[in-house]
Amino acid sequence: MDITRRHFFSRGSTGIGMAALGSLLAQDGFAGTETTHTGGLAGLPHFAPTAKRVVFLHQSGGPSQMDLFDYKPSLDKLSGTELPGSVRMGQRITGMTSGQSAFPVARSIFKFQRHGQSGAWVSELLPHTAKIVDDLAIIKTMNTDAINHDPAITFIQSGSQQPGRPSMGAWASYGLGSENRNLPAFVVMLSQAQALNPDQPLFSRLWGSGFLPSNHQGVRFRAGSNPVLYLHNPEGIDPATRREMLDAAGKLNRMHLDEFGDPEIETRISQYEMAFRMQTSVPDLLDLSKEPRSTFDLYGPDARKPGSYAANCLLARRLLERDVRFVQLYHRGWDQHNDLPRDLALQCKGTDQATAALVTDLKQRGLLDDTLVVWGGEFGRTVYCQGKLTETNYGRDHHPRCFTMWMAGGGVKRGFSFGETDDYCYNVVANPVHVHDLQATILRLLGVDHLKLTYKFQGRHFRLTDVHGEVVKEVLA
Amino acid sequence: MPAVRNEKWARNPIDRLVLARLEREGLQPSPEAGRATLLRRLSFDLTGLPPASAEVDAFLADNAADAYERQVDRLLALPQFGERMAMQWLDLARYADTHGFHIDSARDMWKWRDWVIDAFNRNLPFDRFGIEQLAGDLLPNATVQQKLASGFNRNHMINYEGGAIPEEYQVEYVADRVDTTANVFMGLTVGCARCHDHKFDPISQKDYYRFFAFFNTIAEKGLDGKNGNAAPILEMPTAAQASEVAWLQQAIVEHEAALPEKETQPLLAAWTVTQSKTRFATRAEPPRDGLLAEYTFEGNLADSSGNHRDGKMAKGTTPFGAGRPGQSAAFNGEAQLEFPGFSAERFAVALWMRSGALGEITVLEGGPGFDIGVTDSHPQPNDKRGSPLYVEFAGIRWHSDAIVYGGQWHHVALNFESGHPRLLLDGKPTRMLEVGKAERTPTGPVTIGDPHHDKPLKGDIGGLRIYGRALTPAEAEALALHEPVRYILAQDETKRTKEQNQRLLDYFLKYDAAPELRRVYAELNELKSRLAQTKQDIVTAQVMAEMAKPRDTFILGRGDYRNQGEKVTPGVPAMLPPMLKDAPANRLGMAQWLFSAQHPLTARVAVNRYWQLHFGTGLVKTTEDFGSQGDAPIQRDVLDWLASEFQSNWDVKAMQRLIVTSATYRQASQVNAELLEKDPENRLLARGPRFRLPAEMVRDNALAVSRLINRSIGGPSVFPYQPPGLWEELSRGETFTAQEYRESTGPDLYRRSMYTFWKRTVPPAALTTFDAPDREKCTSRRLITNTPLQALVLLNDPTYVEAARALAQRALLEVGSDSAARVRFLFREATARRGTQAELRVLLDLAQRQIEHYKKDPTQAAKLISIGASKPGNVEAVELAAWTTVASTILNLDETITKQ
Repeated sequence: MDITRRHFFSRGSTGIGMAALGSLLAQDGFAGTETTHTGGLAGLPHFAPTAKRVVFLHQSGGPSQMDLFDYKPSLDKLSGTELPGSVRMGQRITGMTSGQSAFPVARSIFKFQRHGQSGAWVSELLPHTAKIVDDLAIIKTMNTDAINHDPAITFIQSGSQQPGRPSMGAWASYGLGSENRNLPAFVVMLSQAQALNPDQPLFSRLWGSGFLPSNHQGVRFRAGSNPVLYLHNPEGIDPATRREMLDAAGKLNRMHLDEFGDPEIETRISQYEMAFRMQTSVPDLLDLSKEPRSTFDLYGPDARKPGSYAANCLLARRLLERDVRFVQLYHRGWDQHNDLPRDLALQCKGTDQATAALVTDLKQRGLLDDTLVVWGGEFGRTVYCQGKLTETNYGRDHHPRCFTMWMAGGGVKRGFSFGETDDYCYNVVANPVHVHDLQATILRLLGVDHLKLTYKFQGRHFRLTDVHGEVVKEVLA
Repeated sequence: MPAVRNEKWARNPIDRLVLARLEREGLQPSPEAGRATLLRRLSFDLTGLPPASAEVDAFLADNAADAYERQVDRLLALPQFGERMAMQWLDLARYADTHGFHIDSARDMWKWRDWVIDAFNRNLPFDRFGIEQLAGDLLPNATVQQKLASGFNRNHMINYEGGAIPEEYQVEYVADRVDTTANVFMGLTVGCARCHDHKFDPISQKDYYRFFAFFNTIAEKGLDGKNGNAAPILEMPTAAQASEVAWLQQAIVEHEAALPEKETQPLLAAWTVTQSKTRFATRAEPPRDGLLAEYTFEGNLADSSGNHRDGKMAKGTTPFGAGRPGQSAAFNGEAQLEFPGFSAERFAVALWMRSGALGEITVLEGGPGFDIGVTDSHPQPNDKRGSPLYVEFAGIRWHSDAIVYGGQWHHVALNFESGHPRLLLDGKPTRMLEVGKAERTPTGPVTIGDPHHDKPLKGDIGGLRIYGRALTPAEAEALALHEPVRYILAQDETKRTKEQNQRLLDYFLKYDAAPELRRVYAELNELKSRLAQTKQDIVTAQVMAEMAKPRDTFILGRGDYRNQGEKVTPGVPAMLPPMLKDAPANRLGMAQWLFSAQHPLTARVAVNRYWQLHFGTGLVKTTEDFGSQGDAPIQRDVLDWLASEFQSNWDVKAMQRLIVTSATYRQASQVNAELLEKDPENRLLARGPRFRLPAEMVRDNALAVSRLINRSIGGPSVFPYQPPGLWEELSRGETFTAQEYRESTGPDLYRRSMYTFWKRTVPPAALTTFDAPDREKCTSRRLITNTPLQALVLLNDPTYVEAARALAQRALLEVGSDSAARVRFLFREATARRGTQAELRVLLDLAQRQIEHYKKDPTQAAKLISIGASKPGNVEAVELAAWTTVASTILNLDETITKQ
């Protein structure tokens, strides 16, 4: 029974009477600003958190590290030569290139420049990100165990290549609870590819609750008329009728509670009131009409298109402002097996400005200090070419041994670059950061000891980092 | 049996054991629940559906001493009993309608699901139920049904991600079978021992891989499931299908014998020689009258009509390659070709095209204001994708009746005259349907590839011809059918490909051979297509089947498929009793061992789950873990006694009967503060069970009381209402199945929820909101949550709005005009009990206010009652709308969605 009583919305809402609710609505409908702590586990956080909330900008498909962040002038000379076995070291490769007769090294055709005081190298494809490098901690030595999309993306989101485990946001919701009574602790938004080649599917398990109670799963906010499933009253039922229906149901439920004494009935009553408040708070959250023009200048014109990556970035800021614990974005289309120059450029063009805008915006509002922004995909891409290598065109297969991610705000170092890869951008030379290390670090920033946030299931105490993971202390400010 | 003070209370041994504990704790059992409440509880537990009011009435009026027991027997005999029991089993068996990993395309396991329902209904003893599912394929002279049952362990997820490594996933499939089998039948969590010796339970890594070996010799592939079911597959033709296939195969053999190669080849050879020079060559020439421009893409964009309208690459490059009949240009989504524009009153455009895109594409546009393209592609029969052509011309948009398929060459000839496009697709006239206004009226150069960049062309284009007149059907046929053959004939015989030779033969036998040969050939083609169709219609299921040469099993270091260690033989964990002496050392022997009298776990685990089904929580709370890390049983003696009862005959129905006829089960579920304090989770059972219905029953209840429900049992899964886009936003698309949600129509919208198509990567949203699992893994208990998202579903999902309206309509039609009577009716239909005066007053007030409201705003009433696919009956709209809000309120009550 204790499980059913941990809701992502408050137990504390129990007992809000009809009169109180009326006055709540009489405030400008901006119920979303109400901040109260609910749910979560006793004893958490374990440490003073430096990040109160997280936004994870997942770039699904695996962005190419050596075309974006991990500048390798060494490849100019190596381009076209066969990848030496001494570099590959028996690394298993996917079924898509394992049949290739040659593995020619492909340099990046994109220009790199140093930016900011930190002098970080950034590709010409990311001019906006280049302007915020002094706020970023760039990790060039991310590595993972998986070499294909399904296991790799499941791994980075849940700590296991195989399905069944809770996602990172679900763990955060379970462990830390919610800071907003009117919005879920864990919100998910998707946007579609710009790249022309087919993109990879996503799975709802990526924001699922695994063996945790299902109220910790991510709630999808979608573009369109019903941003949260079934949010709006059916046609023909206006708010006054809905209110009367809820009042009647509330009275009957209360009579039944008096008769049966089951506290679940009381919870049900409060959940119906919460649903009613969500009908106001969510549309209000999504209403961008009051955003000044400067916002759209910052995020770019796409931010006016519902469901675009830019719009999702802007909504992420509005969710974070309202203290939503974990905001997870997925942007599809980063799987450049072929036509990389064309498709990677399209992907960057569709995301770069909004990504940088989110960091800038959070900073301007003073939110970046306690909000962690994470950017990256599920793995990197190979230095060797998939398909035909020409002067202007190449493709890259999946690469697990090194890829680049960055974090910003929420207690990570600023203008910092971590880790070093070899001249081929194939192996880590110094300071590897495994996916489990990243997960441990994100939890640490949230004030959670990844060893102690566990859930007992099938006789075992499971955690996000499985039996691995070490906090990357070097990136902590 | 222990001594108890309140002897009278106990109806069966369960009660004596439960009562003894209650008395030790100083607790009293609760009185029996009211009859209406009890019958509703019992109906949900045994059929998953609420009782009809008439059934409640009959029970209330039955004064016989065994009235309740007879209700139990009635419900156990209903076919819905099998459905209810199957619901729990489908979670355990991780049953779903898709493969689960990555692409997540469709599979067909519904025949297996129907086997489960049927097995419960015919009360197949649990030992046979288990043995047939674990090893039905290995039983001597296994029947089709027994082989089908073995599909239990093929319900696991299967991967078809391009690039995945087969060996890696084959190991995962076996690991899933091991986990599921151990969990479902023994309540053991053996997964830990995959990587190392179990830390808490005496299961070594070697034990794990010996058990693994039982499941590792299946004739399966690590990557499979691209097109439906993954091998091994059981075909289950109906008798009619089986005889049809046999007949067709025989007829095909006979027809082929009538067209022996040694006769057709010389005829073909002679024909190719004569035809390439004579009559055919001229007949099949592309018509040249009125030809304005002709592009054959032979490595360049030259105009071969003689009019010097050469084209140019406007953007990107279009590699030239083999097309039909000659060369073609390949478009990657960015490239654009431009040809000089033209103007004409009447004109025709003919071209070859092969589309490679999913979304709408523009193929070519320009000239006197035409835009030709392909609309969004959708799955078509036989795992193809296709879509109508679109044409925009003179301000109007048309769609073709006929479908063009992705990845397939089509010849398109369009005549434009009198403001209408007329389409000849692949040489055949086909209708164009007017669908709306044109978006564009391009009048510039003729452009292939979208110059507006929002419908980029991916695919190949060949043989573009523009005429300043309309083409006749014969000319269009010449272009589509004959010209490609002429092209082949014109080539050097020695350079023809195998495919080209095959096409020549096909053409010859279709059009130019002697009449008798043409007839036989036409019949042969017809027979072949019928055979393909018949085979396509045969239902299959994934089942277990052993490899001819069994795979070796090794201990895998850290569970990794790459780290093969010591080779092991199949065997059961050493901590448990050994397998029977004369049992085969395979899956069948293992399955028999599970049900042997010595096995300490199988019966306990099963009865514990039945307990969970009826009381909400198992005697061992962790139904999935009976190991040292699981919860200790709250009443070990009850568990032991039930297990020994069950093991004596494995009678599933009798076991349910035993539990639900106990006084323990029949208690009222009211709780007071003291009891809540002492036993908040009701583990000791001093009161009856009370918890929210499982997801399926929440919906089925609304469908049942509204009488919208379709009670058909079994068959392919269905697609009830679901908000648009949920699948499409996540899925890969392309030619795979189960990538786009296509809502069912008619009665399929109202099937019981267990028949909802279960796509693992996007499970049914309204069900998962009520804690239904995604079915990726074996689930032995669902945690029950209570969230605002559930409220939103019940209030706003069209399923429930429509059900409320249908229920309201029943009140209007069945009760008459008295509002109080209507309120009484609605409340009782939804809860099975009669509402109190105070309760009915609240609803009556609501009804009266809403009638006033909708009287003032009848358009709102009309909108509300039109929700859902079913149509309202002949009732007054304002009344119906108002009563719909009352019915909806009742369907939202905690009591309505709760078993109490």
